[in-house]
Amino acid sequence: MKEEINNEMDLLLRRLGRRPETSAFDGNGDVDHLDADELSAYAENVLPAAARARYVTHLAECARCRELVAQLSSSAGVVHVAEVAKPSVPSGLRKFLASLFSPMVLRYAVPALGLILVAAIGLFVLRPKQSGDDSIAQKTEAPTSTSITATNTPDPNSPAAKTFNDQQRQEAAGKPAPSSGSTGNQPAAAAPETTGTTSQVADTSRDAKAKKEEQQPVVNEAPPAPKPTPASDEVKRPADAEGRREASSVQVTAEPPRANAVEVQSAKIEERKAAEVAKARSDADANKGQATFGAASSGIAARSRAQSKDDAEKDKNEAGETRTIAGRHFRKKDNVWIDSAYDSSKSVTTYTRGSEAYRSLTADEPAIKTIAEKLDGEVIVVWKGRTYRIK
Amino acid sequence: MESSSRQIQKVLNDGAQRLLARASDSRSLTRDSLAPRISAAVDKYLLRDDPQISEAEIAKFIDELQADDLCLIIACERGDEHAWNDLVERFTTTVRSAARSASSNEDAAEDLAQSIWAELYGLRTRKDGAPASKLAYYSGRGSLAGWLRAVVGQLAVDTFRKQSRLVQTEEDADLDRLAHDASLGEGQAVLASIPTPEESMSNRFAQADMQQALNTAVQELAAEDRLLVKLYYFDNLRLREAGAVLGVHEATASRRLTRIQTDLRKRVAKILIDERGWTQTETEKSFAEVAQHLDIAQI
Repeated sequence: MKEEINNEMDLLLRRLGRRPETSAFDGNGDVDHLDADELSAYAENVLPAAARARYVTHLAECARCRELVAQLSSSAGVVHVAEVAKPSVPSGLRKFLASLFSPMVLRYAVPALGLILVAAIGLFVLRPKQSGDDSIAQKTEAPTSTSITATNTPDPNSPAAKTFNDQQRQEAAGKPAPSSGSTGNQPAAAAPETTGTTSQVADTSRDAKAKKEEQQPVVNEAPPAPKPTPASDEVKRPADAEGRREASSVQVTAEPPRANAVEVQSAKIEERKAAEVAKARSDADANKGQATFGAASSGIAARSRAQSKDDAEKDKNEAGETRTIAGRHFRKKDNVWIDSAYDSSKSVTTYTRGSEAYRSLTADEPAIKTIAEKLDGEVIVVWKGRTYRIK
Repeated sequence: MESSSRQIQKVLNDGAQRLLARASDSRSLTRDSLAPRISAAVDKYLLRDDPQISEAEIAKFIDELQADDLCLIIACERGDEHAWNDLVERFTTTVRSAARSASSNEDAAEDLAQSIWAELYGLRTRKDGAPASKLAYYSGRGSLAGWLRAVVGQLAVDTFRKQSRLVQTEEDADLDRLAHDASLGEGQAVLASIPTPEESMSNRFAQADMQQALNTAVQELAAEDRLLVKLYYFDNLRLREAGAVLGVHEATASRRLTRIQTDLRKRVAKILIDERGWTQTETEKSFAEVAQHLDIAQI
């Protein structure tokens, strides 16, 4: 209704405005118009209130002066606005507050504040998940900046890898580390335990990483007597969703990085792990024989540093032992050549070299014979979708 | 009374002294050379509206004057060549820019700018033989740049109007006639769309009554509201520009205009009912009809 009223009046006023103004001032040269000083002072809004009111009265009737003032006001726009704003400041804090809480402002401000509150709560609720991801992202960035190059991945049967796998199972099962006061750091502490090799490690990061290693035995105690799993079980994905991140890192370590296109994130995690192992290796005194899987998972309160150093040493010895034969990529782990395509979840058929069954197999698949001849020791090869273990 | 004027004189002298102290370059002016100019400004902007204004208000007013600009202008007026050179150097761009805005082409702008400098320098002489320099009219209340733009604008408008008057002397009568016809013509246009002669006659009268009532209502508005209506509807300024003239923000001008429209409608209705004997229903109906016909006429 009000809009209609204003529309009617708007039209009527426009029509009135189109008529020639019959002002006493207009066209009358004898009338005193505002002089230049008055015009500019008015346009700049620097006149005393009473004088300004006087000029407003004149301007309301005088088209000539209005035209000039309009031009000057546009020119002096910036100054004008600044000076107009000033009077409202000393007018009192009360007015300002009143304007803040006026219905006009509140009409928009209250819903806006509500939305912001909902968004803040939403962010707060979602934050734990994100912060977990963030911690990975931050921690993966640090090693990459130390010119670390991962050259190999660990043997899943190695004590270090077993230790890591134990941790994975523990984390996947969502079991807290009973004696660890730093369970919040567990993923960060556990992840570096995975093996790998590096060419260089920045000295500055060594101390911090050594400390992490010292914490790891505490973490390793966590699983209540986890059963040692065979190599084929080590790469199984944890069923628990919480363990996916760790599972992905397990997969990465189980596969030769050079043979497979590893995802960027996984590669970063691997690099980080490699850095940790390299750190351990840098401190190691080559005490290889002491490392045992049992020690890694025995539940002893503090595992000796020598063991971890030994794990790293062992990895170092195995690093770089990869071969490619008949289009298959193999990596040597604990004297077993394992096909990069090997999937531990699939069944394995075992053949012994020289046996009748072996001869029969190699007769059908000469490539397997070639592989078995070129690789000494035990070989796990994936051929035409089937997995064979050649002893 | 005499003591009062003496007190004011003291306030003026003290103010002049403070102004000289404030100026970054007082240009060798003395308190006595400034005081008359300050006195004129105080008379014009303060005492004329309130002869009993307090001395504190006068002192405050003086302290708000543009000290450097005022000293520069007074020094120019007193023939200080160095000050004149400063004035020209500092404000050539301002004057030229204002002249361009006020002129239709570059030549006209250049002529206008030159005219301004001639006026300022005082090449013309008054009837009493003294140079008629416009510099004498700068009070220091506003900025010197703003004052120069106003001088240029005034000269441009007056020159244009003078020229227009010479060219259009004969045409004015025709234009007035046309304007008159146009106002009637609108009524006739409405008439044409109305079926019966009775209705058309009635509508025409209704429209005339309403227009007259609106005119009266506008004249009865407060000066500031009337100024806004004139700026927006008569001068066709945008709300932002109209707001700038009033010293308010565009949004404030918009709200004020809405309020004025509502106010005007009430006033018009009151005039029609009280003075023309219309009923409330007739008033409402006429508002709607007139607005509708105007709407059609504008399309």
